[in-house]
Amino acid sequence: MSIEKAYILLSILVFLIGLLGVIIRKNLITMLVSTEIMLNGVNLTLVTVDKYLGKVDGQVFSLFILTVAAAEVAVGLGLIVSIFRLKGYEGSSEIVHLRD
Amino acid sequence: MEWIVFGALALWLLVSVLGAILVKSPVHSILFFLSSVLAMAGLFLSLGAELLAGLQLIIYAVAIVVFYVLVITTIPWEKVKRFEGVYKRELAFGLPVLIVVFLLMGYMVLKGDLAEPVGVVEDNVREVGKTLFTSYLFPFEVASVILLVAMIGAILLGRKEE
Repeated sequence: MSIEKAYILLSILVFLIGLLGVIIRKNLITMLVSTEIMLNGVNLTLVTVDKYLGKVDGQVFSLFILTVAAAEVAVGLGLIVSIFRLKGYEGSSEIVHLRD
Repeated sequence: MEWIVFGALALWLLVSVLGAILVKSPVHSILFFLSSVLAMAGLFLSLGAELLAGLQLIIYAVAIVVFYVLVITTIPWEKVKRFEGVYKRELAFGLPVLIVVFLLMGYMVLKGDLAEPVGVVEDNVREVGKTLFTSYLFPFEVASVILLVAMIGAILLGRKEE
């Protein structure tokens, strides 16, 4: 097994752990942290394949992923703060209505 | 030598990622996430992507983690405290499914072939900069618009209702 494949396996594992975190956490903030972990796993795959192929396009895409992650955190945390301000908030599995 | 560095960093990364999704308190979870960001920057360095490792440290470890901690301080603590931990039933159903998915994807990665290498990058930072400002100039401009829209959206969402 070459070391590139080990890196790709590691990044798949990190991505799936982040997905598990989105499924199982009760708190909305930690769910957002888990999505950051998933984005990190994707970044690791892009950089690994880049190193193997000897190009830099994957690193440019990782840069864009970092940008989108920053934007996502800004909007997501704004949404979470306004959800926490609601009266009848009961944890992440209870938010099933769009607006009532 | 390469394998030793990879093993140590991979172990650190997996432990901190698992800690981030399994510990009870959200603040501890964010600290574990910070540790995983540091391990990821180390992995980027060992892959020869110095620019991305630096950006990872600046954007994730400084900006995003501080932002999370600031937002947690604005939320009433008893509301955060009530929803600590994980859902047990979802863990029991989700874990076997994700293990099977990992085994399938790992089988594909181990059996498959990677594409042929096309060249060697001499100076990483110079190459990334050149590619970013020639081939990817338009997506780079679009990224600035995305950040602007996200800023306006965050201001609108965070406003108190009158």
